[in-house]
Amino acid sequence: MNAVTPLMPDIDFAYDDVPNLHTLIDELRTHGPVVPVRYHGSPVWLIMDHGLLKSAFEDYDHFDATAGYKLISEPSMGKTLQTMAGEEHRVSRALVNPLFMPVKVRSYVEALIEPIAHELCDRMEGQREVEFVSAFARPYPFLVITRLLGIPVAEESQFMEWAIKMIDFPWDPEGAVKAKAEFDAYMQAIIDARRADPGDDFVSRLTQAEYEGESLSDERILSFLGLLFPAGSDTTYKNGSSLFAELLANPELCALARGSDKDREAIVTEGLRWQPPTALLPRMASADVEFGGVHIAKGDWTLFGITAANNDPTVFPDPRRFDPSRDNREILTFGRSSHFCLGMHVARRELETALRVVFDRFPDIRLKPGQTIEHVGAVLRGVRNMIVQPYGEA
Amino acid sequence: MRVRFIDPEGHEHLVEGEAGENAMRCATRALIPGVIGECGGAMACATCHCYAMPPEGAALPEPSSQERDMIDGCIDIQPTSRLTCQVVLGPELEGITFIVPASQV
Repeated sequence: MNAVTPLMPDIDFAYDDVPNLHTLIDELRTHGPVVPVRYHGSPVWLIMDHGLLKSAFEDYDHFDATAGYKLISEPSMGKTLQTMAGEEHRVSRALVNPLFMPVKVRSYVEALIEPIAHELCDRMEGQREVEFVSAFARPYPFLVITRLLGIPVAEESQFMEWAIKMIDFPWDPEGAVKAKAEFDAYMQAIIDARRADPGDDFVSRLTQAEYEGESLSDERILSFLGLLFPAGSDTTYKNGSSLFAELLANPELCALARGSDKDREAIVTEGLRWQPPTALLPRMASADVEFGGVHIAKGDWTLFGITAANNDPTVFPDPRRFDPSRDNREILTFGRSSHFCLGMHVARRELETALRVVFDRFPDIRLKPGQTIEHVGAVLRGVRNMIVQPYGEA
Repeated sequence: MRVRFIDPEGHEHLVEGEAGENAMRCATRALIPGVIGECGGAMACATCHCYAMPPEGAALPEPSSQERDMIDGCIDIQPTSRLTCQVVLGPELEGITFIVPASQV
């Protein structure tokens, strides 16, 4: 791969903001469905075509993600569903799956998700202007996880620090490993307590889970809990920020968001298509393969171009138009096949509930006029900040 | 072979199914409302749940334990609940009906 010259060599997709990502993708697409680009300073293969990306997600012979994830996440995160394959993955996933199924997630909405949305709106109450990402979008999915785990409110900010650091391994290995150790030490006490006196809460359910004679060790529970933050909080907050930015700039969409549950489901799905939070997903090839007109060698890094595939005009006509009425069954935001995102239902319910509660509490909410709002980042993509006026024109 | 879907609004859709394909693919190909199949048929998303009514004299194979576990987590399940990604169409199922639940979520 090193002999390959990346296209757009001035752009590094690991570090640069790329606010014009969709335009860059349009230009890259003219060079082929799979092209070399720069990532962490080295050339990698960016897969953009929808059909090819779908097949890559389903192809565990050539694109088994586990080897790559072991390199970039196992040192700080431990062994997780992302680093497991085959039978081990099937059984491990089955152990935690009931906590993420539609019927269970529906119960989280009223008991957990909706009260948190209201709590964050309470903090915006009475304010003329609020920075919405830090006031709502970012803490919202994070608090869903900490409350799900039974973390006391006073400890939440400490958890936020650990959560941010744990996934920083490629940039700060020592810091990431230290954060995971501190997180584990804290959570171990909660696991011990739940094992001794189990209830109906999330951690108790993990300690009690059984499937085909298997159960979860403390080590596996700790790794799984650690994974919840990057997988469930960072992604959802990024997408929530993108979604609100798009809606608040469009009064017709705001009106639709005040409509029915089905309307909100459609809006959220279109937001997930249009600006997926994991815009480009790093994956290491597990075997040599001729793919989309290029030779990808075992050990080459690829970027699964989810944003590109979700905006492939052959599948999604006029893809840059935000249109909640389009057929979105083919979006690849949550991946595909047996490693499909476990938390998909939680993420969707969080986003739908956020729309319902925010527009109910602040029917006149709007963006502060005159701001330039940019979606930034290529691995995790969202809006960094945006000032809203909860009560409209002051 | 003919496959009948009743969507959440009660509308009937007759679709020409292909022997060997699964019923989720048949439904999504025909854009049947309410059948999503977002994971592509890996029993990982629980968004292709339907109530299956095979034609008289025919029966579907029992769901695997993994499918059973997934169905248990779906909304408004009934004894006829199936993940349509696990129902493989064949000539013996000519005329099978799938009723799409009011919501997958």
